[in-house]
Order: sequence, then structure tokens, then C-alpha cells
Amino acid sequence: MPDQDAGSLSFKLVYYGPAQSGKTTNLLRLHDILSPELKGEVMTMETKDDRTLFFDLLPLGFRAPSGLLIKLRLFTVPGQVAHDGTRKAVLSRADGIVFVADSDRTQETNNGEAFQSMADNCHRVGLDFEHIPLVVQFNKRDLPGAVPEPEIRERWEAAPWPLHFAVALTGDGVEATFESLLRALYRRHDAELGLARDHGVSEQAFVSGILGRP
Amino acid sequence: MNTSDFDREWRLGELFDARMLERIAPPLAELLGADLAILDRDGAPLWGRPAAEARREALVLEIEPAGYLASSTADPARLHSAGRMFTALLRAEARYRMASALHLEAVTQDFETLKLEHSRLLASEARYRKLSEELEARVEAQVADLETRQRQLYQAEKLASIGQLAAGTAHEINNPLGFVSSNLSSFKLYLDKFAALHGRLAEGEAAWQSLDLDFVLEDGAELLADCTAGLERIARIVADLKSFSNEGRPPTEAADLNSCLQHAVSVIGTPPPGIQLQTSLAPLPPLACNPGHLNQVFASLIRNALQAIQDAGRPGTVRIASEAGPAGIHIRITDDGVGMNPAQLARAFEPFYTTRSIGTGTGLGLSTARNIVLAHHGSIELASTPGAGTTATLFFPTAP
Repeated sequence: MPDQDAGSLSFKLVYYGPAQSGKTTNLLRLHDILSPELKGEVMTMETKDDRTLFFDLLPLGFRAPSGLLIKLRLFTVPGQVAHDGTRKAVLSRADGIVFVADSDRTQETNNGEAFQSMADNCHRVGLDFEHIPLVVQFNKRDLPGAVPEPEIRERWEAAPWPLHFAVALTGDGVEATFESLLRALYRRHDAELGLARDHGVSEQAFVSGILGRP
Repeated sequence: MNTSDFDREWRLGELFDARMLERIAPPLAELLGADLAILDRDGAPLWGRPAAEARREALVLEIEPAGYLASSTADPARLHSAGRMFTALLRAEARYRMASALHLEAVTQDFETLKLEHSRLLASEARYRKLSEELEARVEAQVADLETRQRQLYQAEKLASIGQLAAGTAHEINNPLGFVSSNLSSFKLYLDKFAALHGRLAEGEAAWQSLDLDFVLEDGAELLADCTAGLERIARIVADLKSFSNEGRPPTEAADLNSCLQHAVSVIGTPPPGIQLQTSLAPLPPLACNPGHLNQVFASLIRNALQAIQDAGRPGTVRIASEAGPAGIHIRITDDGVGMNPAQLARAFEPFYTTRSIGTGTGLGLSTARNIVLAHHGSIELASTPGAGTTATLFFPTAP
């Protein structure tokens, strides 16, 4: 449930995935690409050898016609297996998730394990995994060893989540992934928060407001 | 959102408390060379007193002001720079606070996970302990069941043996009974002849001859001797059974076991052809015992030894030896007959156990022997090699 006070509404979105799949890179590119009304700096917590130890945070926001400030706070979790406690803590209270998978064929097991740990951790921290807005991004499409797109699509055919393909280093597919999550997020919360009814924010306006596109 | 969550929106007042502001604000005001107040995001003063017309410089932590610098006299450009500097301080503090709050949450999560693991382990341990207890109980029940069945089996075997004994005893007694009764009928006919002689006394010697009374007299004596022997056999069987039931035990007296052995040998009489009896008896101290019973034991063992050699179907020797040791008397009865296999040896002392067919052995010999030896606080052991013979070793303690 998004955090709400008199004048603002705050969504927490989490980039989850195996170690070194490109979660932080996604955040850095979004910071470069997006131009919403309000955009903070990427707050990077301590790192060790360029690996996230705690989390990264990118705050974004825009003001609705009603005057409501809609804020999005994008977090990344540390991907390394050892930091599961931190991962769970970061995942707590999430309103939406992007699962960033590594397309490299050698990483298939890691992807599977990370996805399972995400589902387990959602249950542990009290998130409704069946209904939480979730999109899946296969990153590093430029790798020579990347599993071909048709194969991935076939494998994920039965899954209910939107599938995206990206090269986060160049920014390719990063915004599309994020937009996909924004739409899922809006549809999940529009009715209960009265986004369109009370605040005059349509799905398109929501997406445009965050992405900073007319 | 909980006030301990790492990802809450931090307020200026909690990042920098009054003490901290007291250290930052005065030098900042000096650098500005102007009046300065620090306000939280709602405009409430945290440090200093803002003038009504003061200019505000927002301190943006993420995308919204977390608080303000307020000054009425500061140069706007300088105030802006001061704001940037203060924001940098604020962000550094926020990063530190968020990291430590997250760390605390993660550790708590890990601890919760460990506690969960621990409780699961405890539960599983309890489950296994219960299972193991159940298994133990079941094993115990089955062992008890097996023991009961074994006892029942033993009882059944015993009953079967008693049946065999009864059949054997009946046969043993029937046989002499038959000829005793037949002899007595014949003897009655002989008495009739003497009755007839009474009527023919006048004929004198001719009547004696005609009635063939020489033969009658001779054969009658034989018939009575046979009857006596038959009745003795019956008496012996009854005595065996009585000793088995421990009835009629005469009082203890001091006796020389060598004379008991000699008595047993004489009771058995001449050994069957081809079998020798050798005795090697050393002087023995007197033993407080029941000589009658020990006679029976020795006779029984010697009879077994003779039988074993007869069963082997070859000539052999039974050796009887006695010897006094420091603790007591050793007696050894050895044969070179058929011997026993381990299974037979193991059951040799069981009551009613016999390898012989009905009527030839009661199965009471060794069992009775052992009961008697034990009653004298002694011991009896059998060693045997199939085909090579058996040795019975007895020991009677003489020490008090």
C-alpha cells in the first residue's frame, strides 16, 4: 500500500534480481533518461568493488492537477546471495517490482534461484506476490551468450508478467520496462486511491508525469 | 510507515538534533555574515528565530524540501550556497542513517529467520524424539511378545515331552507288568499241580514224577525271580520320577564318593560285551551328601556312557576317575562313544529331552543328575565331540 499523507502519495518500487544483472545500471539510466517535474539524485549507499551492499535510491515525482504530489522512490536490492537479510528489508513495503534477469545462458540457474527467493521473500515480508505489480526484464541482450528472445518468450509464456528485453548499459529497453511497471502500478491502485476520479490523473497522465514526456 | 523503517522520509529535525544544529548553525551564520534560522519542512523553527520577512532557501533531501534556511539580511547568492552546503551535510547524514537503519532491519530479519529455523529444528527434533520413543516402545512390545511366544513354545515342548515321558513310562511299566502277570498265571497252574498231589499222596513218588513236579518247582522259582526283577524295574522307574520331583529325600550324611561310584558300577553289573569299565579312584575326603541320590547320578552317567559306546557300534572304554583338589572333589566319567553334536549338547540337561525312541529313555537322566548335583552345590559339565566321545565332569566343593 503506497504511503499517503495529506498532500502526497509515495510509491516504493524495487529492482530485484541476481547479482550483477544490472539493477543499479537500470536506475542510473532512468536518472539520465527521465525528466519528470521532480527528480532527485541517485543516492548510492556504500558499495564494495562496485557491488551494491545496501541499496540505491532514485526519487522521482510530479504534481497532479489536484495538487497531490505523486512520488516514486526506486530502490535496488543487493544481488549477492549473502545479503538476503538486506534484500528482504529493502523489499519490505514495496508497491511494485522489476525483476532484472541476466540473459547470459550461464546465469539461468541464478535467475531461477533469485526469482524464487523473491517470491519467498515477498511472502516473508507480507507482500501479496500473486497481485503485486511485477515486470520481468531480461538484461544484457548484447551478450554473445544471451539466450535467444523466442526461447525466453516461450519459457515465460504461461507467466502473467510483462516481459521486457534490455541493454541497460546503453539504456535500451530501460524506459519501456519502467513504463510497463508504471502502468501495472496505476491499474492496481487507481480505484482505491481515486487517481483519475479525485486527482485528475489518467493512466497516460501518470506515465507521462513520471517519465516527463508531454 | 513505521518510524523505524529505513525507507521512511527523514525529517530535518531527526537527522540533526538541537545539539548538532548548535554546532553547525553559528559558523554558518558567521560565514553568511547575516541573521540565520533553520526551519523544518512545515516552517517551524528548529534553530534561531526567523524574521517575518525572511528569505527561505529550501533544503531538498530527495525531491521535496526537508527544511529551510531562513535569513532576512543575507545575500541571496550566498544564502543559496549555504543551502547547498547544508543539503550536502543533510544528505550525508541521511545516507548514514538509512544505511544503519537498513542494517538493523536486515539483522533483525536474519535473526527472525534464525529464530524460525531454530524453532523448526526444535519441532523436528521433538518429532524425531517422539518417533524414536514410539519405535523403542514398539520394539519392547515385540520383544515381550517374542519372549511370551518362546515361553509358550517351551511349555508346549515340555508338554509334548511329558506326553513322551508318559508314553515311555507306560511302556516301561507295562512290559514288566505283562510278564509278571503272565508268570503269576503260570505259577497258579503250578500251585494247582501241588493241590493235585495232595489227592495222590498214596501213589507216593510215582505221583511226583507223573505231575513233573521237579520241573514245576524249578520253573516256579524262576517265575518268581522274574517277577521280582520286573517289580524292581517298575520300582526304579517310580524312583526316577520321584527324584525328579524331589520327593522323599533322605537326610544328609558324610560319605566317600568313591564308594558311591563303586556302588553305581556294581548296580550296573557286567558291562555289555566289547566294553571295558576302568576306574581310577584317588582317596577322597568325606562329603556331606545324599549318597543314595549321588549313586543315582553316577549310575545314570555310567549308563549313558555305556549306551553311547553301544550306539557307536564298536568296542570302547568307559573311564571313571576321582580326585581331591584344594577346593573340592573332581569326578570325571569319559566314554569314547558316539558323542553329541552341539545342538544335542545344548539341550542335554533339559528335562524330558531324549534322543532315544519311546520306551528306551525317559529323558530324565541328565536333568535329574543336574538337579541332584546342584542340590549339593556342585557343578556338572558335559564336553563332547561327535564320533569321538563325551566327558562328564563333576565338581563337589568340600570347603565350608
